[in-house]
Amino acid sequence: MPAPTAPDPGEVLDIDLVKRSQAGDTRAFDMLVSRYRGRIYAMTYHMIQNETEAWDLAQEAFIKAWRALPRFKMDSAFYTWLYRITHNVVYDWLRKKKIQGDGEFDDSHTEHRVAAGAEAVPRGDAAPDVALKNAELGARIQQAIAKLSPEHKQVILLREVEGMAYEEIAATVPCSLGTVMSRLFYARKKLQELLKDCYENTD
Amino acid sequence: MKTPTEDHDLLRWLDGEMSAAEKAAFESRLASDPALKAEAELMQRLSADLRTHLPAEMPVPYADFFNSQIQVRLAQDENQQMPAPASEGWFAWLRLPWLAPAAAVLMVSLFVWQNGAPSGSADSVVHSIYVPSAAVQARSFHSAEANATVLMLEGLEEMPADRKIVGFNITRTEVDEAVAATTLFGTDGKAVAVMAKDARNQPLLLTSSTPRG
Repeated sequence: MPAPTAPDPGEVLDIDLVKRSQAGDTRAFDMLVSRYRGRIYAMTYHMIQNETEAWDLAQEAFIKAWRALPRFKMDSAFYTWLYRITHNVVYDWLRKKKIQGDGEFDDSHTEHRVAAGAEAVPRGDAAPDVALKNAELGARIQQAIAKLSPEHKQVILLREVEGMAYEEIAATVPCSLGTVMSRLFYARKKLQELLKDCYENTD
Repeated sequence: MKTPTEDHDLLRWLDGEMSAAEKAAFESRLASDPALKAEAELMQRLSADLRTHLPAEMPVPYADFFNSQIQVRLAQDENQQMPAPASEGWFAWLRLPWLAPAAAVLMVSLFVWQNGAPSGSADSVVHSIYVPSAAVQARSFHSAEANATVLMLEGLEEMPADRKIVGFNITRTEVDEAVAATTLFGTDGKAVAVMAKDARNQPLLLTSSTPRG
């Protein structure tokens, strides 16, 4: 996983904020929330593609992290640890949703629009037709991701969005390296199939 | 047709999981296999598009509210971990050690009522209050208009659950759970005092008086 952006000179280090939080300093924890809320929210949003639910789940992840902080031994980066908690929160939510019979990740998820403020198009001043094409592709990708099973969605996001290596994915899920590879392969094949028309007519 | 091993090789090449030697060997295969090369290029495009359209960081809607809500939840957690106040619930409150000071206050007030009220007056007036425990504070409020005296006791502590409420001239008590009040009856069978709680969950003692016959 790529390291979080290096702190500015003078910025309080994660480890110091974690220690203060472990001592009960909620203001220190608030600084950690501000530092990582964008990444955690992006993760929850990509997984469930519903702005409101993603917002709630991201909050839940931070609250669970606060409760678990006394047990955090700082044997990994804070963000890695927080990410695993978030992953568990989202995964539990998806499992419950499945049990409640909301459909096996039905197509209704694909009807959600891309969240306001989401970077649906690459930065830069692309020509209007290119920008439109990019926006369309972004929406199609969101729809395709939504159609994957939670297991496949999870590994593709860990790999492509978080940039995790196979071993990190295996430790986060957790599962074997072989499972990571087969899920990644299947997820990519499925995405290719779902986005086939996007790639057929372009060169 | 590709073998599973070839699929895995393609995946590992795409994700940068190959050693330098493995990578060189795979890329020479790509050069000689147009179908494999086309698939590899498609996979690369897909990966690039996924990274472009699925940002690792997104602006959180109402970010300040997001943070403040978390702080609220943390504060709630902290409050839940604190022990519940001893006076929670009417019966728990009744088990408070208010008997000793309360009985004393009650005795004083009842004594005043029985003996100190002017002839023909319906009022009971507390002239003095004695509380045995220094930790307990007792105050009284008298209203001629309401024809009532209110005694307030603060700073009470736990008392054994089996402690009974007694007092001079008190023959029995009745507990009304619905209104969270206990009524004390005098020797003539009439209610002489009602104990309840105020808005701060503090004991409230209401004494009433009737014209003495």
